[in-house]
Amino acid sequence: MITIENLTKFYGNNRAVNDISFTINDNEILGFLGPNGAGKSTTMNMIAGYLPMSGGKVTICGDDITENPVKAKRNIGYLPEIPPVYPDMKVREYLDFCAGLKGIKGKEKKSEMDRVMTLLKITDVQNKLIRNLSKGYKQRVGFAQALLGNPKFLILDEPTVGLDPNQVIEVRSIIKDLKKEHSVIFSSHILSEVSAVCDRVVIINKGDIRAIDTIENLEKSFNDSSVLHIRCAGSKAAAAAIIGVADGVSEITEAVDEGNNITSFTVKLSGNADQIQEKLLADCLKNQISMLEVYTDKPNLEKVFTELINRPVQKKSVDELLNEIVPETGNTDAAESKDAEADSEEKEENE
Amino acid sequence: MFPIYKKELQSFFYTPFAYAIAALFMLLFTYIFGVAIGSIDSSNTMKFSFTEVFYNVTLYFIFLLPILTMRTFADERKFGTEVLLMTSPVSVLKIVIAKFLANMTVYIFMLAGTLVYPIITALNGEVVISQLICAYIGIFSWGMMFIALGMLISSFTENSIIAAIIGEIVMFAVLFLDDFANTAFISQYPKLQSVLYAFAAQPRFAYFSQGFIRLSDLVFFASATIVYLVWTYISIEKRRWKRG
Repeated sequence: MITIENLTKFYGNNRAVNDISFTINDNEILGFLGPNGAGKSTTMNMIAGYLPMSGGKVTICGDDITENPVKAKRNIGYLPEIPPVYPDMKVREYLDFCAGLKGIKGKEKKSEMDRVMTLLKITDVQNKLIRNLSKGYKQRVGFAQALLGNPKFLILDEPTVGLDPNQVIEVRSIIKDLKKEHSVIFSSHILSEVSAVCDRVVIINKGDIRAIDTIENLEKSFNDSSVLHIRCAGSKAAAAAIIGVADGVSEITEAVDEGNNITSFTVKLSGNADQIQEKLLADCLKNQISMLEVYTDKPNLEKVFTELINRPVQKKSVDELLNEIVPETGNTDAAESKDAEADSEEKEENE
Repeated sequence: MFPIYKKELQSFFYTPFAYAIAALFMLLFTYIFGVAIGSIDSSNTMKFSFTEVFYNVTLYFIFLLPILTMRTFADERKFGTEVLLMTSPVSVLKIVIAKFLANMTVYIFMLAGTLVYPIITALNGEVVISQLICAYIGIFSWGMMFIALGMLISSFTENSIIAAIIGEIVMFAVLFLDDFANTAFISQYPKLQSVLYAFAAQPRFAYFSQGFIRLSDLVFFASATIVYLVWTYISIEKRRWKRG
């Protein structure tokens, strides 16, 4: 298990990662989502032990990455954003070097190298100079390097960037297979990829965590006000009258006449979409209006993502902060509350 | 540690790099050697000595050693492979030592080429072996210090050309430190002069050239090497801490 506690990173005065905490369980694929510049790579660099943190703690299988780096790093394979390959080396030489770095020796080294090369389908380029490889191949060589030695945790920073669609699918299925023996943290800004592969997602923007949950739960949490689309044949007025008064329908937002006596409605619902849909169907049939198409708009990850990213961070007002502080101290004298006020203003500024 | 050493050697010897730099060095060495032989005539009471050639050769080394060391850390940063080294279970100190040993190996390879002249001389005449060994020990420890210095400078930048140029300037300054200390201006301040003189490498190397192996000189070169290597380690760590 990797535990990340209150991880913070400052670049000068600029806060790139702001007090984030989460854990990566065994045999789990954790997606790390965020727009460009959200702090994904910085966080991953810190977890992998490349960048030191300004504050907080990363523990890998019980070993603190700053206090016990050599032991902690044995358990991770890291593929950074730019694959760390030497252009002047052949693929096989490079993997040999990486296996050596990880302390793999002798026969095991050879079998490990063959294993990762077969897995990533780079066996046929093993004697080529890396500088002559395409971006996709370089990416796969970098990925192979991370897999060497079967580390427990894999940290993959945008592993599918630069690959063609076929390779993307291959790499995704590799990542899915990895779940059996490894845990994977995997960053991306391609949402379909994340929803296809990950068990849980961490959504991050401007260094703050916006959500940590499974994809289903995230989608569900945005499902309160669903929208129903209805296409029906029959009189428009009659249909509108039936739909408009049905239970659970809050309003008809759109009614488009398509000609041929066909109308399509967009309806906002308040309540369980399935039940309302069933009832509407029955009502319409009774009144000889035939339904051609009925479907609900389900919020997908894309919507959830945009919503979460664009949602302003909820700032606490000075009063709220004061309320938090004051009850704890009990009856406060004037001087103390003044201090608290100054403190909370400072907090406000930081945010 | 060994895989890094091996990889560094591969990058020197699988490419024309090590051969080119060794060839250039041989050319310069041969030139100095040729001039030294050419200046022997009946009127010259001074005998030809290899140690003198070695003393003169240091000036050319100043231009070659930064080229040898310029890529050590600058290129790792440029290609983004520093991440690979830093996230592997190998400590930074071991990385520094492995790279230093690899650079020293190329340096020994360069020096080994010069052995051809004493061998030819020995076949046709006589070589004072003890003095020759002394000169080699001297140039070896002298180079050790300058390679560590070159690595330090390489760790400051991600542009290997800049690393080479700065390296040349700094090494040039270090090489002529004793001459600078001997100038009339510095002579006005005897204390400053003695401090500068203590840091000068050339007079210490001159002892080796004259056939003296003094413990103090060996300690000087060894400790200077260690200081530069530790400084390199600190420089890499410091850069990670303040990156961005």
